[in-house]
Amino acid sequence: MMPPAPHRTPLLALHEVSKYFGAVEALVGVDLEVHAHEVVALVGDNGAGKSTLAQVVAGVLSTDAGQIEIDGEPVTLGSASAANRLGVASVFQDLAVCENLDVTANLFLGRELRNRVGLLHEGEMEVQTRELLERLTVRIPSVRTTLRQLSAGQRQAVAIARTLIGNPRIVVLDEPTAALSVAQTGEVLTHIQRLREMGLGVILISHNLNDVRAVADRIEVLRHGRNNGSFPATASHESILAAITGAA
Amino acid sequence: MNAIASVRDALTRNMRQSGILIAFVAIVVLFAALNDSFLSPGNLTNLVLQYSYILILAIGMVMVIIAGQIDLSVGSVVALSGAVSAAVVIREGMPWWAGVAAALLVGLLVGIWQGFWVAYVGIPGFIVTLAGMLLFRGLTFLVLDNRSLSPFGGTYYDIANGFLNGWLGGYGYDVFTLVIFGIAVVGYAVSQWRSRQGKIAYQQSVESLPMFALKLVVVAAVVMWFGYQLSTSRGLPVVLIILAVLIIAYTLVTQKSVFGRHIYAVGGNRHAAELSGVSVRKINFWVFVNMGVLASVAGVVFSSRMNGAQPSAGEMFELDAIAACFIGGASTTGGIGRVGGAMIGGLIMAVMSNGMQLMGVPQSMQQVIKGLVLLLAVAFDIWNKKRAAVAR
Repeated sequence: MMPPAPHRTPLLALHEVSKYFGAVEALVGVDLEVHAHEVVALVGDNGAGKSTLAQVVAGVLSTDAGQIEIDGEPVTLGSASAANRLGVASVFQDLAVCENLDVTANLFLGRELRNRVGLLHEGEMEVQTRELLERLTVRIPSVRTTLRQLSAGQRQAVAIARTLIGNPRIVVLDEPTAALSVAQTGEVLTHIQRLREMGLGVILISHNLNDVRAVADRIEVLRHGRNNGSFPATASHESILAAITGAA
Repeated sequence: MNAIASVRDALTRNMRQSGILIAFVAIVVLFAALNDSFLSPGNLTNLVLQYSYILILAIGMVMVIIAGQIDLSVGSVVALSGAVSAAVVIREGMPWWAGVAAALLVGLLVGIWQGFWVAYVGIPGFIVTLAGMLLFRGLTFLVLDNRSLSPFGGTYYDIANGFLNGWLGGYGYDVFTLVIFGIAVVGYAVSQWRSRQGKIAYQQSVESLPMFALKLVVVAAVVMWFGYQLSTSRGLPVVLIILAVLIIAYTLVTQKSVFGRHIYAVGGNRHAAELSGVSVRKINFWVFVNMGVLASVAGVVFSSRMNGAQPSAGEMFELDAIAACFIGGASTTGGIGRVGGAMIGGLIMAVMSNGMQLMGVPQSMQQVIKGLVLLLAVAFDIWNKKRAAVAR
């Protein structure tokens, strides 16, 4: 993978971003850059601010200080849909899908295609769903299967595929492998690599250093809401662990 | 996935829906065998007239339930809208359509009121509509001054008691009724065929041609038989037309529109829907507005059928409507249910009440049996879900 050249404008850049919940410092002066064709992993202990940062980027939480730039332009990510319009799509832990709806309905939820008379254009949505799942190499019996009937890994794949509707440029994945078996984790990591091949910038949040090292181009460590080191994927397990725990 | 697995998959998924249809057919056959007059033209006509307002309520109720809410106030809204209509038409001597308009306005305002408290204040629908049940019953007493108002007579009376017939003649049967039913069957066949062609064009899976044809023939036969029975009695009930239009319109809204899709999403996973850009508040608000309006439609039909307004009108209607939805496959946790299912659920209740009345089963026993049917239907639902979860 090509290392991002320094002169290139990053897709997404956070400068000195801070977020407080009352007296709790969730994020303090955090910097982060994500380029196209790049998977950036965010790691850290529980409560290090990973999920808070993900929600800031996704537009779910507002910042108390700092600047967010997309393509070098300062932006305000006021809401999830505002972030969506700016090309940021997110998958959150456990919350991303409606189990009572089928795969196609989930992919297009909130962005349904309509036909001439304003009703749902099921045929076109199915065609696009099949195409997307193929690009991500997701294996699902039928695009009309309800999510309740899918495995946890397949649901996560649907959640990731969901983000690609509306052609985003940045995808935020919050613990996509947390509840998965080894085989399912492997599949989800393959999907993440597909996202990178499509030219997207990916922010991957994970507890699992093995997963992260398998797929990320760069690993950013957070500790107590602050940046605590940036590592290439080739960095040793011990050095990253030290940055996470603060033992260095 | 091989062919056998996909067939099994389809069966599992449709078991709740097809199971309820089979139960319905079984109940009809049972009563037909027990009582000669059950399937007589007169009784079938009576069935339509007697339970139409419950079915109208169930259409709105199933949408409320899919959204993960409940509405306990519909019986009181039926009473209030009927009372206002009676006050306008009978007390003030205004024309019939003014009464209908006033009733629908009451329903709209009730819907906006309850939708506001549920969607924008965030009080659970159960509480808001429990309050509404008392509130609108009290207002009914106020409007009617604790007395019944009757009779409507005239055109208003014909809404629930009138028939369309005789326009095309016929000996012993009404040709007009048969023509309308014929048009309905052809329309159904054409729409099914077009949707099948559309699915094939987009490489969606469809049932095999013989199965498809069989389905059309069975539906056509049942519908035409029913139409013939009506035509040999008093013709086409006006209220059946109202009901048919509502069922078709709301099937489209729930299954084919973005609004309908979002109702399912909100009921299935409120948070996921919100994150996907669905406005949960708007959906909840409009679902209750819709319920209010449909309750007032039921109020018009009921007051017309009773040819007047009583302070106690519509008591327990909410429970019949809710039972219809749950028997018809709606899930207590929201996100699952269909207008068609609720209609079959409502018909099961209607057929059981009517059949047991014909057989002279005492009222007390009827209640016991209906209660048990509701319990068993939901138990079957839960059992079915657990089985599906294990199969995964």
